[in-house]
Amino acid sequence: MKKLVYLLLGTMLLLSCKKDLAPMSGCTENTAVNYNANAITDDGSCIFFSTTPFIIETPSGFPDMIIPSNNPMTIEGIALGKKLFNDKILSGDRMQACASCHLQSAAFSDTNQFSIGIDGLAGDRNASTIINAGWNNSNFWDGRATTLEDQAHDPVVNPIEMNDSWLNVEMKLNADNEYPTLFKNAFNIDYIDSNHVVMAIAQFERTLISANSKFDKYLRGETQLTTSELGGHAIFNTEKGDCFHCHGTQMLMDNLFHNNGLDPEPFIDLGLGEITNNTSDNGKFKTPTLRNIEFSAPYMHDGRFETLEEVVEHYNSGGEYSSTVDPLMKKLGVGLQLTNQEKQDLVAFLKTLTDTDFISSK
Amino acid sequence: MKKILLTLTVIGLVFTSCEKDKPISTDLTINFTHTVDGSDLITNSMIYTNEAGENYDVQTLKYLISNITLHDDLGYTVLKDIHFIDISDESTFSFTYDNVPNNNYYAISYTMGLDTAKNISNLYVNENYHAAMAWPDMMGGGYHYMKLEGDFNDSLSGYGTHTGGTMGMDYSFNNINDISLIVNDDLGSVDVNINMEINNWYKTPNQIEFSTYGMGIMGNMQMQMDLKQNGMTDVFSISVNK
Repeated sequence: MKKLVYLLLGTMLLLSCKKDLAPMSGCTENTAVNYNANAITDDGSCIFFSTTPFIIETPSGFPDMIIPSNNPMTIEGIALGKKLFNDKILSGDRMQACASCHLQSAAFSDTNQFSIGIDGLAGDRNASTIINAGWNNSNFWDGRATTLEDQAHDPVVNPIEMNDSWLNVEMKLNADNEYPTLFKNAFNIDYIDSNHVVMAIAQFERTLISANSKFDKYLRGETQLTTSELGGHAIFNTEKGDCFHCHGTQMLMDNLFHNNGLDPEPFIDLGLGEITNNTSDNGKFKTPTLRNIEFSAPYMHDGRFETLEEVVEHYNSGGEYSSTVDPLMKKLGVGLQLTNQEKQDLVAFLKTLTDTDFISSK
Repeated sequence: MKKILLTLTVIGLVFTSCEKDKPISTDLTINFTHTVDGSDLITNSMIYTNEAGENYDVQTLKYLISNITLHDDLGYTVLKDIHFIDISDESTFSFTYDNVPNNNYYAISYTMGLDTAKNISNLYVNENYHAAMAWPDMMGGGYHYMKLEGDFNDSLSGYGTHTGGTMGMDYSFNNINDISLIVNDDLGSVDVNINMEINNWYKTPNQIEFSTYGMGIMGNMQMQMDLKQNGMTDVFSISVNK
């Protein structure tokens, strides 16, 4: 008898439950953020994912920036990327952020010759600047990453840099109080993965545009250069200094690789040759932009020069012989033969490429 | 009137009857080839000797050919406005112009470099050659027509044959070569090869030595003129494969 009562009660319970399952209202659009798979009637509550597009303003004399079609620029993505760039959560033991070695005050480069990673280990190249990086055809001194997205994958897991695993970083981000909402808002994803982390960082990096230096203002007719700066400009842009062949156009770089005669063979660092396995690429490195060069010391891929005067002296001396030295630089033992005044003028011109807005903007 | 109608009908019939033979479109591929002393160019090898007796290699060859045009009795067809060739990128060695209109073409012409109307700074800022070929305003602006670079003197020295509009002067030149290309819905794929014989840049009528004029010639009007003369003499040649 007792069993019968239980059975009856159980049946009643189930029946009562059924009532709740019956016609349910909610959002029935499966593209909506609050899509309810159980809802049968739509109650007009659907909220759709949307972001605010961010338009890059192309500076005068610059090409249009090539932005990957799967990672359009959005206000939400850029803000998230900026937060990630400055957050130590991306490194093992939460010791370092991207910004630890790419300091805005140093044109997003490192004032140390070699950056020190979380375990106190040093790399063997100077941290690259991040200036107008959205126009780079390749990234790293050896060009091994094509896109900024590809580039950002590397330092997080590099044992001498941030030394973490992407699995661990994903875990930390997904368990965080803020990031799941921020990624949801930027990319409409429920689980944070490494691809979306680097997409956000790349979006932020594409906004790091410098095109308002004294030199830009001069080109726009808004200011005049001093006699010394004009002298340097002439040396730079003629074959007297022959700087423009690699550091030409308003971008002040050619997106190519060259051996600028730093070392004799055998090279300690093969540069591009290490990536292409082509011996004629040995000793070649990506041309950096000269914008904000005043702040990005030390100079060269290995940060061997501390001052611009040392850099100018290197070119003036003619450099070291090796088989892959750029033909335009093969004035070995002859060099540029600049006078002291001309060297000073060239440095004065290089300092007109300083963009204080870029260094100090929030 | 009747006569005209009859003629038109006959012509119409002829055309309709022709339709049975499916027309074949004529697709013209322009290939850019490069030789030294008649042999295909091999880059980064110190195996060449110029007219002055200097040994040299070729490491860089980038140049702009513009106004590539087919000529017929009544007019012309522009195949491409500007084409950039980079020896390190095979995809730049040719382009194809599909569906060449029916005509009797007797010549092809092309400009080495950019004429004054085209040679303007930042005019091609979004083209892939912009950064590599830009020519500073201080020396006249616009773009390099050609960058031909390498080492000479057993790779102890470098040379850079850079041609362009020195101080705003126009040193581009137009070549016109005879071809006999009768297009009448029947040719299919046709190749026209424009060959650059590199040694001839330094040969006739002006012998050019790298040891004297290997570098620093962007501001040298005489050298630009000499290279233009040599270029017009025998640097370029045409062949057609039907």
